[in-house]
Amino acid sequence: MTDAPRTMTRRQLIRHSAWFGAAVGLAVAGGEVISHVAGTAEAKQVQGRPTLRFAQVSDSHIGFSGKANPDVAGSFSQAIGRINNLGYTPDFVIHTGDLTHLATPDQFDQVKQMMTGLRTPHVFTVPGEHDSVDDAGQKYRGAFGAGTRGDGWYSFDIAGVHVIALVNTLNLKKLGHLGVEQLEFVAKDVAALPDDTPIIVFSHIPLFAMYPDWGWATDDAAQTLSYLHRFSSVTCLNGHVHQVFSKTEGNVTFYSGTTTAYPLPHPGDGPAPKPVTLPAGKLHDALGIREVSYIRGQNALALKERTLQ
Amino acid sequence: MTFAEAMTRTGIAAAMAVSGISHAYLYIHGYQHIPTIGDAFILQASVSFAVAVLILIGGPGWLRWAAALVAGGALVAFVLSRTVGLFGFSERGWQPSPHAAVSVVAELLTVGLWVAYLVGRRRAGARG
Repeated sequence: MTDAPRTMTRRQLIRHSAWFGAAVGLAVAGGEVISHVAGTAEAKQVQGRPTLRFAQVSDSHIGFSGKANPDVAGSFSQAIGRINNLGYTPDFVIHTGDLTHLATPDQFDQVKQMMTGLRTPHVFTVPGEHDSVDDAGQKYRGAFGAGTRGDGWYSFDIAGVHVIALVNTLNLKKLGHLGVEQLEFVAKDVAALPDDTPIIVFSHIPLFAMYPDWGWATDDAAQTLSYLHRFSSVTCLNGHVHQVFSKTEGNVTFYSGTTTAYPLPHPGDGPAPKPVTLPAGKLHDALGIREVSYIRGQNALALKERTLQ
Repeated sequence: MTFAEAMTRTGIAAAMAVSGISHAYLYIHGYQHIPTIGDAFILQASVSFAVAVLILIGGPGWLRWAAALVAGGALVAFVLSRTVGLFGFSERGWQPSPHAAVSVVAELLTVGLWVAYLVGRRRAGARG
């Protein structure tokens, strides 16, 4: 018996090449059709421009000084420039916390001054744990707390969307915590809303269990979310983890945003979430802002991540 | 071609088409906006459709391997998205329902039928 290698005739080669070409061609055509259907479905609902467009920026850590990013003010300026050059004016900009690194009056002054450069009608914020290191958020509320309730939480309506901004960085043990008073606020806040009202929730620490061992979760988030289960579209945006991550749980979609300061390791990658120093030239790929748009009638918000590069 | 071979071929094509439809539906209804995952969904759907059509009209054996690869890859991605996350994306359980379950069953069927196809060929080869 011989074990001669199987060879392919010229004719067979041509035939297989033709099948391969057909596979590629059909896949491209199929992709085009799906893309077109998706675009048409969206265009039907867009009719001009999205109902609501806003930008999310997070974890600027003004005042941080370290190898991971020796110029956090410079990269936050770039982030502001990125938002100002989106090609449209966002309806608002939300900063999802850790505006400052050590919550000093100078750092609050600096970040507040810098944010006046944002070209948008409204700037909203929620505090991170770095914004309340020594005074339970008092200086934060002095700088950004106008019009808020309790320890700095609030809600508002814009373009038919109900937005809730939560504070889960005070009363920290290991995980984020909202507390009874804030939970009652959420329950009352949404009680009168119809089920088809789109809900957007901002917080600093994730409202989902992204990595509880590092404190990347909120211990009483489940109760908050129980008030929101009846709504057809709930989107939760957070900062804190310095990286893009998303998760869906039924009607709720969670999106963690990146930072403008320095990256943190992926969950469980190392003993603790310490600033990661990237090779030269790579930092700005890890930093960024997020564009969010909502089209009336759609359940999902559209997100675009933009690096500072 | 034997009856069993024809059934295997039709079964793989149908399962691939179902998985492709499920991914295309999710892409159109929101997943297109999820970074990287959206691109992966449209790629999975379009390749699945192409492979399904070509297998159905009598394409060569390597198309079954391609089908198994696409289905196996989708299953691995499903498991990753429910465990450690995939490209920063994570989902829980069988959400979105029923598409997650439909896709997984279709992909398991594809891999199963591919194994049946291989076994069938080996037996045919052994018989001479």
